[in-house]
Amino acid sequence: MLWLKKIWQWFDDLTGASKTAGWIVTHPVPRTKKIGWLYVFGSATLFVFLVQIFTGIALSSAYVTGSGQAYDSLRFITMTPVGRVIRGIHDFGASAMIILIGIHTIRVYLMASYKYPRQMNWLTGTGLLLFTVLMAFTGQLLRWDQNGFWTAVVAANQAGRVPFIGNWLGHFLLAGSTVGGATLSRFFAAHVFFIPAAIFLFLGLHLYLVLYNGISEPPKSGEPVDPRTYRARYHALLSRNGVPFWPDAAWRDIIFGLLVVLIIVGFAIVIGPSKLGRPPDPTIIQASPRPDWYFLWYFALLTLIPRWSEDWVIVLGPLIFALFLILLPLVAPHGERSPLRRPWSLVIVAFIVILIAHYSYVGHLAPWAPRLDAKPLPASVVGVSIGPIADGAKVFYDKGCEFCHQVSGLGGIRGPDLSFVGDRLTRDQIATRIFSGAANMPSYSGKLTQQQLSDLLAFLASRRRLPPVGPAPAGFHTAKDAATN
Amino acid sequence: MDTVLFVVFPYVAVILAVGVGLYRYFSRRYTYSSLSSQLLENGKLFWGSVPWHYGITLILLAHFLAWLFPGVAASILGSGTRLFIFEAIGLALALFAAVGLIVLIVRRLPTNSRAGSVASGMDWVLLIFLLIQVFTGIGVALFERWGSLWYLSTAVPWLWSLLRLHPDTSTVVALPGLIQFHLVWGFAIVLLFPFSRLVHIFAIPLEYLWRPYQIVIWYQEPRRADQRVTAAGRPPSPPQLETRVFSPAGDQGSRSTDAAPPPVSFLRLPSLLLKFIRPVGFLPLDSFFSVLRTGCSHLTDPVASGEPLRPVASDEYLRSDGHKRMPEDLQRRSFLSKMAIVLSAIGAAVIAVPSLAFLLGLRKSPMVWRAVGKVSDFQVGQTVEVSFADPSSLPWAGITAKTAAWLRRKSEDQFVAFSINCTHLGCPVRWLPDADLFMCPCHGGVFYSDGTVASGPPPKRLNTYPVRVNNGMVEILASPLPITTTTL
Repeated sequence: MLWLKKIWQWFDDLTGASKTAGWIVTHPVPRTKKIGWLYVFGSATLFVFLVQIFTGIALSSAYVTGSGQAYDSLRFITMTPVGRVIRGIHDFGASAMIILIGIHTIRVYLMASYKYPRQMNWLTGTGLLLFTVLMAFTGQLLRWDQNGFWTAVVAANQAGRVPFIGNWLGHFLLAGSTVGGATLSRFFAAHVFFIPAAIFLFLGLHLYLVLYNGISEPPKSGEPVDPRTYRARYHALLSRNGVPFWPDAAWRDIIFGLLVVLIIVGFAIVIGPSKLGRPPDPTIIQASPRPDWYFLWYFALLTLIPRWSEDWVIVLGPLIFALFLILLPLVAPHGERSPLRRPWSLVIVAFIVILIAHYSYVGHLAPWAPRLDAKPLPASVVGVSIGPIADGAKVFYDKGCEFCHQVSGLGGIRGPDLSFVGDRLTRDQIATRIFSGAANMPSYSGKLTQQQLSDLLAFLASRRRLPPVGPAPAGFHTAKDAATN
Repeated sequence: MDTVLFVVFPYVAVILAVGVGLYRYFSRRYTYSSLSSQLLENGKLFWGSVPWHYGITLILLAHFLAWLFPGVAASILGSGTRLFIFEAIGLALALFAAVGLIVLIVRRLPTNSRAGSVASGMDWVLLIFLLIQVFTGIGVALFERWGSLWYLSTAVPWLWSLLRLHPDTSTVVALPGLIQFHLVWGFAIVLLFPFSRLVHIFAIPLEYLWRPYQIVIWYQEPRRADQRVTAAGRPPSPPQLETRVFSPAGDQGSRSTDAAPPPVSFLRLPSLLLKFIRPVGFLPLDSFFSVLRTGCSHLTDPVASGEPLRPVASDEYLRSDGHKRMPEDLQRRSFLSKMAIVLSAIGAAVIAVPSLAFLLGLRKSPMVWRAVGKVSDFQVGQTVEVSFADPSSLPWAGITAKTAAWLRRKSEDQFVAFSINCTHLGCPVRWLPDADLFMCPCHGGVFYSDGTVASGPPPKRLNTYPVRVNNGMVEILASPLPITTTTL
């Protein structure tokens, strides 16, 4: 290994590498004691970003940026064994980046590391968070299957809600008046050139600032940040109690980063990348576009907010969130850092985490979406196979009721569960609801013949709770009774 | 209303401008100036004034010449490439002017000390009016493309008709609102002319072209004394108002001067063209020539004397050299650095403008009628999916070049074609023939068979495409993807 050392010495002599950059490796960082593992998420995000760069470059060497061919080229990549794994790494890497950058943001927020002198660290980090989200969004679109295609349409429609320039902005995103040849190229350029260039810029600044201002020391209750004394105190802390970054702090970063990378690769091999949907053919109407998991909560939120607030939320929601992140270090540059002295920070984090977790789950269920793939109810559920009740069950399916209403665990969950509707409502009450409709139910007035209506009512009235054991109590109607009524 | 805006208002504006302007010239001639504030605050003035004046002068010149010689302009702009280059340069200049104007406005903010505190109400009105005009102009350039071409057949005939006293508004009344606003606002600025500092346009400082250059600076010595006093703990005295004028000729070295040059009669209008060659008194062109004369000796000297090359802080440099040469060197260095930055900005703009124009340029696709089937293929009362080729498709669009619509035959001779895009967020709606409803799979929007909203979040009914029957074929007018804009 002597020759390796000699090569290094020769290189170092000519470049001055260790003189100018060597301090970066060994610069002192505060002793973190027990909470050292909380400091690994930023570096892990960086590691995964490197993973994304390498796998992204590999993918781009085979991906065809043409609206007509992208889908086929991606199918080709997925069919080759290595291509499948590379796609899987890039896919799980994207998820990992979102998760890690989220945890990193929460950690920095809870420890109030954004306070003086690290406001600019936070602001560049805000930019990186935003760009990462944009990368996730454009990335799922580049899959360019049916889902990717409709993502572009939905993105254009969301941009359309911006006042005044909405229409122009929407068509600007699509690079034309319709989704076509130019659309994919535009998102490809954004995903591969524009946003990464911005990330490099912000990342460079972010890392430089980490070195320039030093990594924040673990917060202590009762030691508020005072801009006049902070730097002196921090330097005293470092000279009294600092440890070199390499290897005293870096070993945790390396171990956690490696763990993350191994998990990503493991998932990529075992589970594989997201399945490609149908081809991006706009004439295939059988589509149920869904965003990837990181946007499911937003998808759910947009459905469940009151209608009147929709435009406000689409336009102002992201703006307000960005504004919160930007203003945070500017309005609160000093004061206590410990989360124990900043209880509201805990409340805010808990609120956001619960909100995202809950709405991600709701978005996954998508109870508001009609289950257009529901099958006709089987005879075991209906109870009979001929007669008005059976005919009513057919009407229930044909007229689309079942897409939104569940019966015995089958069908959609947008409207009320009708498994036992016969216990709650009389026939007249049911008929009234069918005719009048509601905010989320179309009116079926004029859409049913007399025969269909009476069959349907017979079917619905027969939906009653069966007794657990024993003979039927007086007044209990079985499905058969209802049929003979 | 059109007559008021496009006939009455322009005449009123011009008559007032000429009348009040003449009155002001003969009664208060020495207010024909733009009350220099260079002495009060010089740094931002450069960054505002130079971009603003160069940008707006050339833009105005283009407006003026195209109005004067529309035929020549039309032949110049006849080629697509030339038109594009012309528009790109115009847009770059407009942005340049806009940046300058914003700097000038920031400079006049009350918080910005000296220049801000002397800004009059009329200065503010003027700055805001100019800002609005510049931004509507940029808006026209961006959103109503190729203005330099349609200008010749819309605004130019109108302006000439006003000049000939046979007003004809027919070419402007149908223009988009933004353009009309830009036109009327232009006359609003004409109206402001005699009431504001704009009159300085007619006070052309021609003798700047040949007189020795002057540099107006704060006198240095008292200021240093000031700093010492402050350091000693006593409150600083207000800045000294004594000024010195330095000149290479040396013969005028200590003459005090007024910062605003005496105005030259605007009756010397033939010199207007010269004005455009040397438009701004603030750009130290003269010191540029002085640099050419003296060269860069201060940079080479240390090397010649064997000293190691080291960065020279400007104040250190001044102290060692004494203040006699100081203003000239300071001025040269500051000019060189400003020049370098301006040149870099121009270089960046040269690259950025065409790149941005390419990025922002949207292909306006033609609307075309596409046949989707024979009339006899469709049954009355039925809704079926039809597909047709997207009018804007590119050769490599592949399957995405297709578009679908829901075609409903309402009666023997009536068809309606619904866009498949839900009006909520654009997802594809599905037709359920038995239920007689359209349902959206994304957020559960439901539409009736006539396209009206049945339930769910969609803010409006399904969009439709125009349909016609032509030679026994049903044809759909393929149109842009409908985007639901804000309902606020």
